[in-house]
Amino acid sequence: MSVEQNTDLVRLKVHGVLVDPNTDTQIVILRDENNADVLPIWVGTAEGTSIRLALEDVVPPRPMSHDLITSLSTHLGMKISHVVVTDVQNNTYYATVHVSLHGLERTVDARPSDAIAVALRAKCPIYVTQDVLKRRAGDNLDAWLAKLDPKESGSSET
Amino acid sequence: MITQMNVRGLLFDPYNNAYIVILRDEQNSDMLPIWVGKSEASAISFALENVAPPRPLTHDFMKSILDNVDAKVLSAVVTDLKDNTYYAKVHLWHGDSEYSIDARPSDAIALALRAEAPIFTKEEVLQKQSSEELERWLENLKPEDFGKFET
Repeated sequence: MSVEQNTDLVRLKVHGVLVDPNTDTQIVILRDENNADVLPIWVGTAEGTSIRLALEDVVPPRPMSHDLITSLSTHLGMKISHVVVTDVQNNTYYATVHVSLHGLERTVDARPSDAIAVALRAKCPIYVTQDVLKRRAGDNLDAWLAKLDPKESGSSET
Repeated sequence: MITQMNVRGLLFDPYNNAYIVILRDEQNSDMLPIWVGKSEASAISFALENVAPPRPLTHDFMKSILDNVDAKVLSAVVTDLKDNTYYAKVHLWHGDSEYSIDARPSDAIALALRAEAPIFTKEEVLQKQSSEELERWLENLKPEDFGKFET
């Protein structure tokens, strides 16, 4: 069964990166294609910055860590085919990155932040399992988002 | 000519709010200080201290991708210094070929430490690096500036 036919997976788009002023962490906002579901994932500053650069198509003068990952893949003839947010436990999300080389597919465990940063650079789809979407740790998200001052989301929001 | 370097430790630079990776050659005669950001410093310190984080950090993930396709990290080489910016390359072995890929020294070092691969620098980089400037800077350091990152 191909990834597209797998009804357990929902394709997500990266909607933007917000800065949480209370914790100095960043939140990657993922949305499904109908804008019906939102998946917020808290990430570190470096990962958030890396995701934002990719979203804005900024090519930094020196390759960032995730640029190096895509560069390594390209040099080795490897294709990053898609990434999946596979699980959430105690507010920690888990992800896998699917790569193929000479027709063989391999699955690599990753943090969602790394998986998303790499997916944006490789221009490959991002999926989440239905199960994670149901159990997402963002039940209070709407209330939380409402409290956020639009100024604070700043230029990072796309 | 290239010289093998060891990572001697990480220092915090309070003036620039950055970290410095200290590379030394095996005779301890040459030193290369490389300024890196906070997240790169923490990626290097995890590897130096042999700490396996609960979730793979970016460079653990990088190494894991390479392991998955049987690509081996041969070495990291600091290749140039221009306008206070260091340049590096990661050398990989995959299939029957060697690949050399442009990287920031911080990424190259963080990856090499995880792969237990040697770190080299070109002689000309050592010559370009002005030790005088560093010594002046070190003289200004107070003992309390040496945090827990020093090994």
